[in-house]
Amino acid sequence: MALSANARSNGGGSATVAQRYGLPISLPTSNPNNITSLQKELMDIMTKPTPGVTAFPDDENMMRWTATIEGPDDTPYAGLTFKLSMAFASNYPYTAPGVLFKTPIYHPNVDFSGRICLDILKDKWSAIYNINSVLLSLQSLLGEPNVSSPLNGQAAELWDKDPAEYKRLVLARHKAPEELDA
Amino acid sequence: MSRPQVLNGFHHYGQQQQQQPPFDGLLHLQHAAHAHAHTHAPGPMYRPLPVPSLPMRAPEHPAAGYNHQHTGHHGRTSTVPMSDPAYLAADDELAQLQKLSNEYEPETTVSAERRAQRAACSVPTRAPRAKPRLRGLLLPALRAFHPPSATDTPQGPLVGERQSSSAIATEYANADPVYRVKTAALPSKYAYFRTCRGDGHCGWRAIAFTYYEAMLRAGDVLKFEEEEARLTSMHNLLNLAGFSEDIYEDFVEEAFGLLQKLAGSVRAMDGAAADILLQTFNDFGTAMAIITYFKLLASAWIQSNPNEYQPFLLDYPDLKTYCQHNIEASNCEIDHVAMAALAEAMVKPAGFGLEVLYLDRSPGAEINNTYRVDGVGPDGYPSANAPTMRLLYRPGHYDILYKAEDFPPPVASQGPIHVALAGYTDGFVPNSLSSSGITDVMAFIPGLSYPAGLGQRWPPVSYDYTPNPAPQTQVAPVPAYTPAPTPAVPVASNHQEYVAPVHASHVNHHPPTNHHTLHLEPPVTLPIHPPPAPPPLSIERAPPVSVERGGPFRPSMYEFEPGYGAGQVHSLPFQTSIFRNSHYNTAHFLNPDFQPEEWSPDSEYSTNRGRHKSTSQ
Repeated sequence: MALSANARSNGGGSATVAQRYGLPISLPTSNPNNITSLQKELMDIMTKPTPGVTAFPDDENMMRWTATIEGPDDTPYAGLTFKLSMAFASNYPYTAPGVLFKTPIYHPNVDFSGRICLDILKDKWSAIYNINSVLLSLQSLLGEPNVSSPLNGQAAELWDKDPAEYKRLVLARHKAPEELDA
Repeated sequence: MSRPQVLNGFHHYGQQQQQQPPFDGLLHLQHAAHAHAHTHAPGPMYRPLPVPSLPMRAPEHPAAGYNHQHTGHHGRTSTVPMSDPAYLAADDELAQLQKLSNEYEPETTVSAERRAQRAACSVPTRAPRAKPRLRGLLLPALRAFHPPSATDTPQGPLVGERQSSSAIATEYANADPVYRVKTAALPSKYAYFRTCRGDGHCGWRAIAFTYYEAMLRAGDVLKFEEEEARLTSMHNLLNLAGFSEDIYEDFVEEAFGLLQKLAGSVRAMDGAAADILLQTFNDFGTAMAIITYFKLLASAWIQSNPNEYQPFLLDYPDLKTYCQHNIEASNCEIDHVAMAALAEAMVKPAGFGLEVLYLDRSPGAEINNTYRVDGVGPDGYPSANAPTMRLLYRPGHYDILYKAEDFPPPVASQGPIHVALAGYTDGFVPNSLSSSGITDVMAFIPGLSYPAGLGQRWPPVSYDYTPNPAPQTQVAPVPAYTPAPTPAVPVASNHQEYVAPVHASHVNHHPPTNHHTLHLEPPVTLPIHPPPAPPPLSIERAPPVSVERGGPFRPSMYEFEPGYGAGQVHSLPFQTSIFRNSHYNTAHFLNPDFQPEEWSPDSEYSTNRGRHKSTSQ
């Protein structure tokens, strides 16, 4: 389910929003800039959740988050949920977070280790992006791969040539979050 | 032997300087697109530059190809000692240098691809040169040879202390003669400079820092509020460019927070503003927030003025893409388009000037002033007094430059009146105090007279005209001056003491003859002029006044008194019928310090008898 990361982090889904983000905010931090920014993002995500994406810190130091995105409708990924890990450097948001697909995914721009080839996660990163916009960008990347510079050549080829086979491979490679955790 | 890194692209770029400054491109918009069509200008950043499109080394300056100097992001220079110190070498020497240059191989830090490109560049054939006005477009691409990379570990503070620009000359002491000549001439014109760390943000950091510094140099508290209001109004542009408020509010908060901190310091005159500024810009997070704010403003400005910037950015599908990749991206150096946009959006409307000075290998004895925005005064016309922001550009890197007059020596914060009074009394205070111990300094000032009353308040022992017993009312300046530990104090305080002998001597020595006011009791006055408490001075003080009067001048009744025209002089209550009706009376409507008489019950009942008498005649 989509909220698995949240549920796991909080030990239960019944916690209020305040309780949920109260813990990370109250803890002393080593890097105020970075943490303040991430706390604010967490607040935004909790108060204004975006349909189809979730994100929550793994622990109280907030440097690592776990996120999920749902495959967009009308794509081979429709109905699938993908888990990602996000790692933030101390000078976030002025450097891009490191984002990896934890759920195995068959996609032209993602390699078999889950590494993503997306310009905004590399040199085109801007401080105006945030966790939410990254996740939404990744979500749209699922439906609009850049097949001209693929990491997964076979996927790039099949995307245009054989959608049915493409879809079959996507489903074959996918694992539900529950399977992943196990 | 340490050998320099070589960046041919930078080198070529510098060479083209001689003919036309790159920012001229911005001034020739209508040609830019045209010119652009002729050259295959390179694509977006980080795409390898196609070799044929490179502007080739100018064949007429072959020596320049040797001994490259790189002053890239590191902010450091690495040089090779020039074998031939002569600035202008003979032809055969030039030919030999060209040969050396062609054969020159840097260390293997340069990738094979770059080496191949350099080799191509070295072919001594006449290659098509990019049109000068295209330079502004080429630079971002040229920079792609040396993108900000993690392998560089820039050193030094994010923004350094202001230091003498002779340090730059020292830095280049062993460098190429062109640099040597230029940097040697630098300190005479630009006395100071400030380093910015070359971490890829240096240009943004430099312009943002100098913007705030120019605010400080303007020294006007109101200016900070004005700018905050103006920048707030520019948020419409941000909204139009598609930035939502929750995206930019954090950056705005930091940028405005610094404005407010500086304004508070300027208002308090605690002298800490410069330190606050430097500290803030050395805090990575805060500085990056401010830089990001500047980036967003530049981006929004470019997108809202497409006609001005589109012709320079034909490599990009649209302005939005350009802005996202070359301005909004966190790790991108400022290019000329963005610098020009910030000049328009931030510098010009603030009334500041901006100069970008180039230090490169182009021939010449001085650094080139290649871009300039004149500061405008409050009236909208160019003003020499407007602070000018100066950036020193070495290809790939920005630092900050100052002229000596940008930092005038601090002046004492004294009010003008204060200073004038201090100067006036300097010669008298010690004299009177030491000679007689009498603190009645005003009495020692030779020939002081009140122009309005024609000296009527001088002690009659000295000047026998118009003894006016009107109480001294020159009390207005006293509260203002007394706290100041300056020579002004005796002057002010002695105003009161000085008058006291007037009453004493007058009453005692000059029996009333033809002066109606003599019938008045000393405390009689207009209610608006409360009489000072008459000090217990007596006539004994008067004789030494005239005898021991120091100074080189003989007293004259026609001399003005200090403070003449300051307003208080005329506020004497004239009591005779003649003076009551003259414009010297402040109660007269022609008096420049007109102050209508006010009725006060207290003085009315206590003095009404004398008043009636005085006015009856």
